[in-house]
Amino acid sequence: MVAEDLVSPYGWGVRACWEGLLSGGTAIRPFERFSMKALRTGNAAYVAGLDPDRDESLVMQLVRPLIEANASAIPADALLMLATTNGEIDILERAVLNGTPDADGSRPECLTQKVQRLCGLDEPGIVVCAACASSSAAVAQGAAMIRDGDRDCVLVVACDNVSEFVASGFSSLMALDKDMAHPFDRDRRGLSLGEAAAFVMLMSDGRASREDRPVLARVSGWGLTSDANHITGPSRDGSGLALAVERALRSAKASADEVGSICAHGTGTEYNDSMEMKAFKSVFEGNPLPTYSLKGGIGHTMGTAGLADIIVAIETLKEKVVPPTVNLREVDEEAAGWASPRPAAWDGGITVSTNSGFGGINCAVVLSRGR
Amino acid sequence: MNVVAGIGWIDRSEYGCVRRRLRNSYPDVKSLRSALKDEAVFSYPVKGFGKYDRASQMTCCAVALAFYDAGMPYSEDRKQDVGILGTNADGCLRSNIDFFNDFVKNGRTLGRANLFVYTLPSIPVAEAAIYFKCQGPLLYVGYSRDVIASLLRQSDRMILRGETTAMVAVRASEEEAQCFILRRRDDVSSEPVLALEEVIEAASRSTSPGEMIEEFARL
Repeated sequence: MVAEDLVSPYGWGVRACWEGLLSGGTAIRPFERFSMKALRTGNAAYVAGLDPDRDESLVMQLVRPLIEANASAIPADALLMLATTNGEIDILERAVLNGTPDADGSRPECLTQKVQRLCGLDEPGIVVCAACASSSAAVAQGAAMIRDGDRDCVLVVACDNVSEFVASGFSSLMALDKDMAHPFDRDRRGLSLGEAAAFVMLMSDGRASREDRPVLARVSGWGLTSDANHITGPSRDGSGLALAVERALRSAKASADEVGSICAHGTGTEYNDSMEMKAFKSVFEGNPLPTYSLKGGIGHTMGTAGLADIIVAIETLKEKVVPPTVNLREVDEEAAGWASPRPAAWDGGITVSTNSGFGGINCAVVLSRGR
Repeated sequence: MNVVAGIGWIDRSEYGCVRRRLRNSYPDVKSLRSALKDEAVFSYPVKGFGKYDRASQMTCCAVALAFYDAGMPYSEDRKQDVGILGTNADGCLRSNIDFFNDFVKNGRTLGRANLFVYTLPSIPVAEAAIYFKCQGPLLYVGYSRDVIASLLRQSDRMILRGETTAMVAVRASEEEAQCFILRRRDDVSSEPVLALEEVIEAASRSTSPGEMIEEFARL
């Protein structure tokens, strides 16, 4: 990984997110962009300043400044992999509410074309959707293309925003905490929605050296699996995620005892967090590792969740500290010794980031220190 | 080396399998499911098929036809290391519209969970993974060009890299679907299989899904 940037509910830039998490304060707060009165919660984590009345979709309002600020670092021959769950869903919302036939413009292909043009790329990109593991799956597939020698530069862009569409859907699934998400907490009740956009640029070793690029971290391995179990709920025993982590370690040619920390999906739902702890205990044979979730701080940022996790995991490699799990009050018995409301020092060279999503999708990415 | 062990397809009025040279007509999706059940293409009942969105129904039927064509068994009691990669042009546009329309008609107070579930492009392949017990990688990829060739090449690479042992590669919309089973040559018995490059070339020569099926039939 040779370049990255992130806008999260803590603000613009990786630093804002990192410092926000370390502060222990949450960015989940009363949501004002549309009425959530009829939904299970009125809270969400959102990026200040987005304007639904502007002639640009909300995700493009997130992506445009990120790309413009980093334009000089993006080569025209990079392959774009766009990770999103719902993309420009506000275009569809408007079309339905106004009774106009413009919903076609919300197709992921249209967003990909906009991002391609914005980035000044030579060729059209591709869209990757693996539910809430979309962007980690995109990183995995992008890294695979580079390892195979098919590509030497892949740009992964992720984006999703808090919308009435998604909020009403998660509310109908009773998946939202009425207050805010408390990942790995004994009293957790569900997730909080969040919004974010991010990008990372993956490059082959050879090209990074030739172009004298800084190596922020290495994508050493990855594993993708399906629970093949249930469309909305994870496999209760965590076996699907455990298999993904095992495959990621095999792909990285690393052993479980080389891993020093885990950036977990940690949504704050009862079943997800429990499933994850079972998976981690299975793979790491019960040896507790510093484990944290971003979602008490920035909410569940859906298609961007995986990339936000990876970017923060890169920071942990650089800073030699893992952030606290924000909003964690009383650690659930299953997570005792793993998750903590306080930051923890560590000095390992390898970390694992995991995501799981609807449909039973699991993705694990192994990251190691750059130079 | 990987081969194409089976191809299943559905268009607006017909369905079929390439290797078995099966070709039948159907009047609607409900009848299609019944026909596939009667012909033992489905090994066991598809629970909740009626609740699936249309793209998931088409995906599930096309995958069943491809497994049938490949002569590859599956069981509801045993997960298998098979990945599944889906693609189409529209993502889940129709299901997105259906969910939000319904929410608006309900006074913007209550969404329906069973409609919301289908508002992700990866859900049709996830439904298929659940039914066919495919435990390998699962994702949706939207390609801007050379769709079938890109779909097959990415699936091929995933097997070659050891991410899984076999792949289901499926393009499915609400009207039509094509599904391919890719396997390692050594995992397939001596029966005739299709060379991956030949299938890709046949797909590339075609200007429509119907023409593509005709090209496959000539392989």
